[in-house]
Amino acid sequence: MTPASETAGRPDARAKLHGAVRYGTDLESPGMLWGALVPAPRPSGAVRRLDLSAARALPGVVAIGPDDLDRLLPPAYRSAERPLFAAASIDYGFQPIAAVAAPTRAAARAAAEAVRATVDPAPVVADVESIFPDWPGPEAVGSPHVAAHVHAVRGDVDAAFRDADRVVRETYRTASVHQVALEPHACLARVDGDRWTVRTSTQSPFGTREDLATMLGLPESAIEVAGTWVGGGFGGKGAPLLEPYALLLARASGRPVRLALDYAEEFRLGRTTLPAVVRMETAVRDGTISGRRVRLLLDVGAALPGRDFATGYSIGFLLGPYRTPTFEVEGFGVRTHKPPFGPHRAPFAPQCAFVVESHLDHVAREVGLDPEAFRAAHLWREGEATPLGQPVGPFGLAAAFERARATARAWRAAAPPGHGVGVAGGFWSTGTGAGGELRLRLAPSEVVLEVGEREIGSGSVVAGLRAVAVRVLGLPADRIRVESLGTAEAPFDSGVFGSRTVAVLGRAIEAAAAELRSILAARLGAGGPVEFGIDGERIHVRADPAGGRIDRPLADLLTPDERGEGGVVVVGKHYGRGGTIDESLVRAGTFYGYTDFTGAAHVAEVAVDRATGAVRVVRYTAFQDVGTLVDPPAARAQVEGGIAMGLGTALTEEAIWSDDGRLLNPGLLDYRIPTFGEVPPIEVEFLEGFPGAGPFGAKGLGEPPIIPVPAAIALAVREACGAHATELPVTAERTARALKLL
Amino acid sequence: MVEFDLVAPRSADEAFAALRAAAPDGAAVLAGGTDLLPDVDEGRQRPRVVVSLRHLPWRTLDWAGPSLTIGSTLPLRALEQDPDLVRRFPGLAEAIRDVGSVALRHRATLGGNVVRAAPTSDLVPVLLALDAEVEIVGPRGTRRLPVDRFVRASRRVDLGPEELVRAVWFPEARPSAYRWQRVRPANDISQVAVAAACSPADRRWRIAVGGVAPRPVRIPSAAEALGAGAPTAAAVARAARAAADAVAFPTDRRASADYRRHLVATLVERVVDAVVRAEGFPR
Ligand SMILES: Cc1cc2nc3c(=O)[nH]c(=O)nc-3n(C[C@H](O)[C@H](O)[C@H](O)COP(=O)(O)OP(=O)(O)OC[C@H]3O[C@@H](n4cnc5c(N)ncnc54)[C@H](O)[C@@H]3O)c2cc1C
Repeated sequence: MTPASETAGRPDARAKLHGAVRYGTDLESPGMLWGALVPAPRPSGAVRRLDLSAARALPGVVAIGPDDLDRLLPPAYRSAERPLFAAASIDYGFQPIAAVAAPTRAAARAAAEAVRATVDPAPVVADVESIFPDWPGPEAVGSPHVAAHVHAVRGDVDAAFRDADRVVRETYRTASVHQVALEPHACLARVDGDRWTVRTSTQSPFGTREDLATMLGLPESAIEVAGTWVGGGFGGKGAPLLEPYALLLARASGRPVRLALDYAEEFRLGRTTLPAVVRMETAVRDGTISGRRVRLLLDVGAALPGRDFATGYSIGFLLGPYRTPTFEVEGFGVRTHKPPFGPHRAPFAPQCAFVVESHLDHVAREVGLDPEAFRAAHLWREGEATPLGQPVGPFGLAAAFERARATARAWRAAAPPGHGVGVAGGFWSTGTGAGGELRLRLAPSEVVLEVGEREIGSGSVVAGLRAVAVRVLGLPADRIRVESLGTAEAPFDSGVFGSRTVAVLGRAIEAAAAELRSILAARLGAGGPVEFGIDGERIHVRADPAGGRIDRPLADLLTPDERGEGGVVVVGKHYGRGGTIDESLVRAGTFYGYTDFTGAAHVAEVAVDRATGAVRVVRYTAFQDVGTLVDPPAARAQVEGGIAMGLGTALTEEAIWSDDGRLLNPGLLDYRIPTFGEVPPIEVEFLEGFPGAGPFGAKGLGEPPIIPVPAAIALAVREACGAHATELPVTAERTARALKLL
Repeated sequence: MVEFDLVAPRSADEAFAALRAAAPDGAAVLAGGTDLLPDVDEGRQRPRVVVSLRHLPWRTLDWAGPSLTIGSTLPLRALEQDPDLVRRFPGLAEAIRDVGSVALRHRATLGGNVVRAAPTSDLVPVLLALDAEVEIVGPRGTRRLPVDRFVRASRRVDLGPEELVRAVWFPEARPSAYRWQRVRPANDISQVAVAAACSPADRRWRIAVGGVAPRPVRIPSAAEALGAGAPTAAAVARAARAAADAVAFPTDRRASADYRRHLVATLVERVVDAVVRAEGFPR
């Protein structure tokens, strides 16, 4: 196998360092107009009157509202579930009620401000606890406030609690966190006759095309979505946001239209993790968990009823990677007047890990057991089934947890007063259920991997896929190039999300390479395995059959057609299976199975200022199950980045809404992501040997590293000063209250 | 895109003339621009002409016996790197190092900070504790005003439309210190901050609190509680309580009033302790 060091490197690094890369926010086109959205002036109510005349009277301005859709779109647009412009019912603050385009950005803003709307106000549901101040009872099921209800039971839970030696009950609260990709959403649209084209900063060109087709009532074949370099996604750029409006404005104006959010708009309109309340109850008998009850109230914002995925997906994470003979889980996805819940790197899993780890740590303390040994003893092992009845395959969490405990012991022995050490685990699953394809072009002097997605910053597309190809083909990295195409030319793929890119498209590369080898073996007349090599600039094809070595330049093996196409072209596909759970446990709603479990255990050391509650993270080590390392520097970068990002979720990041549904901190001054000054020295250790479903047994690594971070830090804070955090983020003020300083 | 004319006069008189030409309300003064340009970008100020101070010979640091005069346009980064300043005005150096980030401090100036007069300014509390005065120049001459009288409220200072702050004057080097609490240490706004200094001349204390509206304030009751020179533990506790009681703290998205009150007492104790340990503390 090719040494990992030869697969490493970022082909995009130089251009990015020199500012030569064009992101979505850099898109321009001759003759283009600047678009702007007109936001609903209140988070709820009905638009009684919309007056676009003042905006339209401004020079060069195009303004559109709900009444214009019939002339701009085919009638099928009306069957979309949510209207493009809020009219009879405003679902959330800043929901678009109209859109404008003008020759300059300032003119577009002025035009948006010139739009007059009269709104009949309706009560605002600002948070889940105001709707269900106690807890949802049976009447909540089917209520218009509930977008999803999920419920599952295993065994006789009541008996487990009745017969317990000890029952521990707690309530946790977690905050809304935003992805904070440096590049806000941005796109450039044009409409030529029946062709609707949008260049956009997206994690999922094909998913965006599919959604746009539904929203606009167009056939998918009429729409082309072409990506741009993406200035960070973290889950926030997986679905269309601005694209339908940019396309409508382009249609209405006959000009290319650029639409981009400023950062305040990014906070107000972006889809992200919303607040939650979790009730945890654990029954312990003979030092072992005998039963659990988990109840979740998840704010899903303006999610459409029946369309919330987050509640059913998250609830399994609240059981944690721990054995539980009997349990009851119930979750409500509660609708509020915030934008709909959207994914944020490992959606809601860091919050779940914080709740589970903190709670079980607390349970152990309450029953007088060592908190880390207690959790370690309950961890799932390979060959078992999860509480929801999924088989556990190769899973490195128990091994990672042991390594983390050993590190914690060493750190504790050296920790000065005021310091504390926390250990937390977390699990995730690689999104191998979302399949895809790529096209491999083997040319006389290079290999091109043609894909439908764009690099979003992690390197998984431009470097990760190349690293897989290096190993699979045995050719050097400088002969291999990834090329991103628009949806009109590219083979289908689901997109860059769910930690799936290398795992799924890597398998597609393996499939393509196998086909390539069999085609070329036949042409060499080798009948046996075919290898690739390089001679100067030229790619060679080699085989060692019994009769002696064959070695030919690829160029000599091409058919005339292939010479025309620039090489041998094969399409590799990989459509894996999603996970399944034991459906007999389900009483209501849809639960989602996970695939390809991966685990991580983290150790954090913190210093707590006992007089103010302020927390400083002093050092940090992560033990990460990866299956097989494909690109070690990139893998390390993912883990470091996940930890830095998780630090924000743990300590400072929190979108705050007022009681009347206004976002109070829509900007980077009062929504605080960590700066480099707060990121501690980080060590990363990878655990190989627990193979996953990706190429060579690799597992996804985009999301897992963020999951244990808030838990590890919260537990370290508890050890440092005794403050038991039941709320995220663990701000200094909350810690000061827990310490009863106020 | 926001548009304006940029002029960079070479003398104070040229600057006054440029300001007069754009009057009334048409001109803005530019030092480092770290407050002004965001204001212009977000439409809080809409100047037709921006008068840059960069060519004025005001980037100076002048020592005269115990006193120091800092030119208004010297970048903060130059101040924090001056060894004499760091040694003789430790509280000022600490406060400067706490402004934003290194990159920001290469541009931001002391003059801009006092004229912006933000309630959350990290520099105004120390200026108050050091009895600093601003030196104001204008077409009708020069005047000097204690910072305590110059700063009125956020974006409101005692400065005529054609006047400029040329320098900030400090009567004497003082053992001093500055402590704050923020959600995030770097590039964040203090929830509350405390500056303290003790004069080697009269051995009296000055305590000032920042992060409070409408502007940072001196707390004479806290200073008096400390007495002269090194205070007893009981005196420090009294001063901490006095500071906590003297200010009506707000509750907002950055902190609750209760937490701010708690913090201010803690920070008074810490800041006094740091001053007592500083070089030259009058025993
Ligand atoms: C990211 C960021 C972080 C920040 N962090 C902090 C912080 O931690 N602590 C803190 O205290 N501040 C902070 N600030 C605010 C700012 O950097 C300071 O207030 C800075 O000192 C202002 O100086 P300047 O030279 O940039 O002023 P400018 O922006 O040039 O001017 C500010 C105002 O003063 C006027 N002005 C400037 N100089 C003169 C003069 N000589 N005479 C008359 N009028 C004048 C201008 O017209 C303008 O109204 C931060 C700002 C940013 C953008």
